[in-house]
Amino acid sequence: MKYSFSWLKELSGTKLSPEKAAELLTMHSFEIESLEKNGKKLDGVVVGEILEIEKHPDADRLQVTKVNIGDKKLQIVCGAKNIAVGQKVPVATVGTNLPNGLEIKEAEIRGEKSFGMLCAEDELGLGKNHDGILILDKKAKVGEPVIKYLGSSDTTLEIKVLPDRAHDILSHVGVARELSVLEKKKFSYAFDELILPTKKSQKLKVEIKDNDLCKRYIGAVMENITIKESPKWLKERLETCGLRPINNVVDATNYVMLELGQPLHAFDFNVIRENQTKSQIVVRRATKNEKLILLDGNKIKLTKNNLLITNGKTPLALAGIMGGKDSGISENTKTIVLEAASFEAINIRRTRAALNLRTDSSDRFEKDLDPNLTEKAMVRVIEILEHTADGKLEGIIDVYPKKIKPLTIKLDLEYVKSLLGEKVSEKEIINILSLLGIKTKNGKLIECEIPTYRLDLKTQEDLIEDIGRIWGYEKISPRPILAEVLPAKINKQVFFERKLQDILVGLGFDEVYNYSFYGEDDLKKLGIGAENHFELLNPMNPEQAYARLSMLPNILKNIKDNLRNYSNFGIFEIGKCYSIKNNNLIEERNLILAKVLEKDQNSETFYDLKGAVEDALEVLNVKNAEFLEIKTPGTFMNPNRTAKITADGKVIGFIGEVNQSVLSSYKINKRLAVAEINLETLRLLRQGFLLRQNFGGQVGGPKENILEYKSIGKFPIVTRDISMIIPENVSYAEIEGTVRKAGGELIYSVSLFDYFEAKKSLAIRIELGAKDKTLESVEIDAVMKKIVSKLENDLKVEVRK
Amino acid sequence: MLKTKIEEIKKQVLEEIEKVKNSDMLFDLEKKYLGRKSEFVGFLKNLKNLAPEERKQIGDLANKTKLEILAIINGKKVDLSKTGPSTEKEKIDVTIPGKKKDIGHLNPISIVRRDIEDIFTSMGYEIADGPEIETEFYNFDALNMPKDHSARDMQDTFWLKQEAGKEKLSMRSQTSAVQARYMQTHTPPFRIIVPGKCFRREATDTTHDHTFYQFEALVVGKNINVGHLKQVAQDFFSQFFGQEIKVRLRPSYFPFTEPSFEFDISCTVCGGTGCRACKYNKWLELGGAGMVNQNVFEAVGYKRNEYTGFAWGFGLERLAMMKYKIDDCRLFHSGDLRFIRQF
Repeated sequence: MKYSFSWLKELSGTKLSPEKAAELLTMHSFEIESLEKNGKKLDGVVVGEILEIEKHPDADRLQVTKVNIGDKKLQIVCGAKNIAVGQKVPVATVGTNLPNGLEIKEAEIRGEKSFGMLCAEDELGLGKNHDGILILDKKAKVGEPVIKYLGSSDTTLEIKVLPDRAHDILSHVGVARELSVLEKKKFSYAFDELILPTKKSQKLKVEIKDNDLCKRYIGAVMENITIKESPKWLKERLETCGLRPINNVVDATNYVMLELGQPLHAFDFNVIRENQTKSQIVVRRATKNEKLILLDGNKIKLTKNNLLITNGKTPLALAGIMGGKDSGISENTKTIVLEAASFEAINIRRTRAALNLRTDSSDRFEKDLDPNLTEKAMVRVIEILEHTADGKLEGIIDVYPKKIKPLTIKLDLEYVKSLLGEKVSEKEIINILSLLGIKTKNGKLIECEIPTYRLDLKTQEDLIEDIGRIWGYEKISPRPILAEVLPAKINKQVFFERKLQDILVGLGFDEVYNYSFYGEDDLKKLGIGAENHFELLNPMNPEQAYARLSMLPNILKNIKDNLRNYSNFGIFEIGKCYSIKNNNLIEERNLILAKVLEKDQNSETFYDLKGAVEDALEVLNVKNAEFLEIKTPGTFMNPNRTAKITADGKVIGFIGEVNQSVLSSYKINKRLAVAEINLETLRLLRQGFLLRQNFGGQVGGPKENILEYKSIGKFPIVTRDISMIIPENVSYAEIEGTVRKAGGELIYSVSLFDYFEAKKSLAIRIELGAKDKTLESVEIDAVMKKIVSKLENDLKVEVRK
Repeated sequence: MLKTKIEEIKKQVLEEIEKVKNSDMLFDLEKKYLGRKSEFVGFLKNLKNLAPEERKQIGDLANKTKLEILAIINGKKVDLSKTGPSTEKEKIDVTIPGKKKDIGHLNPISIVRRDIEDIFTSMGYEIADGPEIETEFYNFDALNMPKDHSARDMQDTFWLKQEAGKEKLSMRSQTSAVQARYMQTHTPPFRIIVPGKCFRREATDTTHDHTFYQFEALVVGKNINVGHLKQVAQDFFSQFFGQEIKVRLRPSYFPFTEPSFEFDISCTVCGGTGCRACKYNKWLELGGAGMVNQNVFEAVGYKRNEYTGFAWGFGLERLAMMKYKIDDCRLFHSGDLRFIRQF
């Protein structure tokens, strides 16, 4: 909210400069968003003295002046009649931007050059007066900024009011009270003395039908009202706070809202009355589909959850949010009904949210207000209208079924110390509380009576916060925590993923982070449905409507974007994927890897990525990993180039090339291999041995594999190569499996060293050895013979001899 | 006689060394004159047959000459390595770039996250985590944000479509959601941090993104106080930025803490004297902190006023932006390798 500093000064009696006050408030109370001298934008407007005035040779209504602005004399063409030689006037020099948006440029007006502008009041943003040039005091010094001579200009203070203090701080009295507390001064505003007059209204009846939604309703009738403009000082304050002056009655209600924080409303008695002399206010819930036209012309349809102010028959206002169009103040209003009421906050909030309305009034009501504040506000608005509208109070009706009483909190001084970490003396605490308007009674615990205008003070901690901030958080010294030295519990998943990140970076993959969402369009491109997806109720945009079930769609976009700058690269992402399985929420931590190669290596893309996955699994000590062909891998993967990855028989993910049609829908023009792996499964399969990857000392959690050393063989290893041509339908895995099975314990390793896809011919190298002896050549020959015959007979392989 | 012979050998060496053209020839020469079977070594072996006086005289000369020959040969070795014909072919341009292997880069969020985790684990903190899709209870209710709290507004939280009657789910709007989960299963004292992905439905610009990373710190025990919060923060930030950092607390409001603070640190550029980076403010605003609200303890089943604790939540991107002078937070989620490869 915006505050007028001169107003705050008047209420609090502070002698601080706006800057000092803002600093004090920032450190002890709340954040100051801005501090702006009104009229600050008059840079470039200086005091000038009129030296000469001549008639414009070519225009009857214009004059050509010579003006001294100190460092030079300017020729300026001017149309106003009220100027005379010797006067001091505001001169907007070339380049100035005036508050009304006008930029001053060098000009030629009917053949006469003009180097600036003499300004009227409205052009300086000071008012509406455009009768003539603003004539300055004779003592004004030529050449000085004009702002110095425009009287004591106000300063606007903008405060970020947080929800807990909205009930008292969205008002000048609230901030002024805060300032007084910080200056350790008694608050000078006579708040407690604002007591409702006892004169009962004869013309008004008030009835609250729904006590739960309206805690108090004060109605007052004022007669003899003259509707006119408000006085200048009042209008200026409203404008400083960003409100537009309307007429003296509306302005008075707004003024009191700004002063005390209580929204008020005024009805035209003659419009809402039942007969010549009587009027009534009935506060009730709306009926279903009841209609009301609001002040702003908006027609709304209501439900029984909305609260209305009615005259017993027709709705007059949407309680606490906005008045009705017909019941408001007009030029002809003579008698008014003033409303100061207390409405239930949550209901106001729900109503304004449901109807999408937000007003200064609803902003205050929805944060809750002290019902006792209504009285203060009513007294003030009557006072003001007596002055500004010549109003006479006919009488008041106050319906307040359940009076709110001050709350008492017992404060333990030891707790103050143990929560803040610093001892604040009892005397100081009592003093701070008293400045806050809290009455105290000493005892073992201090009994604190909280004024009802501090709705936020409900617990000891709330009081300790106020004591702490007013005393000064800067006085609290940093203190080390004294605790037992125990090893920090290791989050294994975190450190496992770190290790994995390091491996992947070492293998040349860059790490990307993506949003967790994608859109309908992505589902279509991938050819999958929305089933098993979480859909957002309120997405940012349709492109981010679903919580990701796979990281692939966003990775495809990363690939497309980066292909503009790079032709071969690998990327990875580690993150969560979300899905619905059997009606349950499943979150998984996954890894996705993606790789594109240069055009001339395009056909190698799958194997390139597979190699990286194999390397990573090796460094992670994941044993027994297998890549098994998937015949129907899902619509978005290439069915001929996709495998599931297993380790110890458990599926950990898949690897493959993305389907060409999917790639082209993402405008990716080369092969792309991806692998997606579940990291929780992978972590538990891995055999770790490094600190932090497998913390032996930690109790609990699933048991993990421990790597075990195998002794290095003492006897020599021999190698034998076999090259062969294999049938189309035989896979390398089958070849290796057959070799291993036939060779049994003597097989030390089997590896592929040559492969021609065209003829499907390949060559493997077999290492053979025994644990307990040196193999003799007969033994080797026998085993090789067995292997070859198995390959030939079982797999119909043609072994080259 | 022997003496003349020794001098002769030296002379021969000097003559022959001139003809040596490469290291092979030098090796042969060395073998010929100083090798085990050489004439010279033969003399030395026979010294014992001489009269003591002569033995000493000749022995000294032989040893001296042997060293001289060695010096000559070594000198030649150095000459050869400088001028030998094969070195022409050996010479390479060592300034030509090496045969680089592909190397990847971590996203700066990961780097900063590791720094944070390492500093805190060194201080005995456990790294905790929790789900990114949260129930209303953990994301709001347990954090003292009742049903109609403004933070639950549609514009702040990404809600998920759910069948009627099921507990409402949302993308977690802060890592504080993990607080209640952790506290329900652990008994104080404990110290944890929670780094993680968070989501808020707000318009994106250079300093805001709807997806961001926070790291939460939560310390609970008997008599944990504001002074402890200050010290931990000061220690952490000083380590993180590698310079002495001061912290400043200003009053604020969060439903889950009481008292609540806005948290500033002394400017990392000027150290608190005022500069352009801090807009001559001397302080940089970092995030929210506070003493855990007793209502939160109650919500997880602790007895009211049995424990005290502090908590904070800071944006990880903000720290990365400060550390690396990054001017647009949307880069972190851009996947742009021109950005990532700088780290």
